[in-house]
Amino acid sequence: MTAETLDTEIIEIESGETTAGEEAGEGSEVQLAAEPAFVIGGFTVTNTMTATVFTTLLIIILAVAVRRKAGVIPSRLQVLFEEAFMMVYTQLDEAVGEKKARFIAPLIVTLFLFILISNQFLLLPFVGSIVTEHGNLFRTPTTDYSLTIALAIITMGAAHLIAFVASPLGHIGNYIRVKPLWQVITGKRPIGELFNAGIEIFLGVLEMLGDCIRVISLGTRLFGNLLAGEVVIIVISGLMFFTQFLIPIPFIILASFAGLIQAFVFTLLSTLFISNNLVHATGHHE
Amino acid sequence: MDAEMMKMLAAALAVAVGVTGPALGEGWIAAKTMESVSRNPEMSGKMFTNMLIGMAFVESLGVYCFLVALIILFVM
Repeated sequence: MTAETLDTEIIEIESGETTAGEEAGEGSEVQLAAEPAFVIGGFTVTNTMTATVFTTLLIIILAVAVRRKAGVIPSRLQVLFEEAFMMVYTQLDEAVGEKKARFIAPLIVTLFLFILISNQFLLLPFVGSIVTEHGNLFRTPTTDYSLTIALAIITMGAAHLIAFVASPLGHIGNYIRVKPLWQVITGKRPIGELFNAGIEIFLGVLEMLGDCIRVISLGTRLFGNLLAGEVVIIVISGLMFFTQFLIPIPFIILASFAGLIQAFVFTLLSTLFISNNLVHATGHHE
Repeated sequence: MDAEMMKMLAAALAVAVGVTGPALGEGWIAAKTMESVSRNPEMSGKMFTNMLIGMAFVESLGVYCFLVALIILFVM
């Protein structure tokens, strides 16, 4: 009798534990990968993709609105856009000169505006609560690792392409540094510098490795900061029943501020990489 | 000690140990900025923005640790 009740109790406890574990697995809303929003003809559209398209449309509408009213006496919005452009342009102008700065600045300003607006997606009211049959319809675009790594690849690709077009030999010479070795072989340099020439080749390989790591760190920095902000808000609002209402507000402010700073940091770093590559390639060539 | 518990311990350690370095760094940045502002108060606006950007760089290291913890908990 007692043994039977004990057995049933144990079974109950075990089953209770398993359901609790399943609930913890399902109930946690922390998702690293983007969830599917809907399916069009076998192609799964994730919720970050819809949010990205939404952000792009928002930027286009803003740009058209600013362009229509642009004039010598600027409107408030125009001042904002001009400020964003000049912030990048003055930095580039100092580093690579006016002609190239005019060519490069639009790319970086576009990246800046896109990241700036998509980072503030959290602040749009009720947008995060629209639900389709698969899950949420919108999610902050920069919390998708695919997007941030794509932005990083675009930035570094542009950096290499611009430097390569400006000076092909100089740019490749920064990575495959056989010039000192060649000089030693042909006798332009003393044979004692053979060791230094070997080190130069090794430094070139390190430079290649460093560029691969730059792509990853640039993408992960943006992704991590934005995801951390969202996860903290989810955890805080899921803590207890009454923490959903006023307690997350400081954390939302913090996350939005971090998004703003990260947009600046991404812009600063991409400006730095592009101008650095360009200066290095052309300087090496001359 | 089963695998689930090891995961939790690993995630906790990843954040707890990994965050100490960036915390020290950020404190140092703030302290140095305070020092320079007290020496040169009219430059405080420019120093503040530079401090924030520097802090964002350091903070991203802490965020990497946070990401590793999240990956241990939810992906692995």
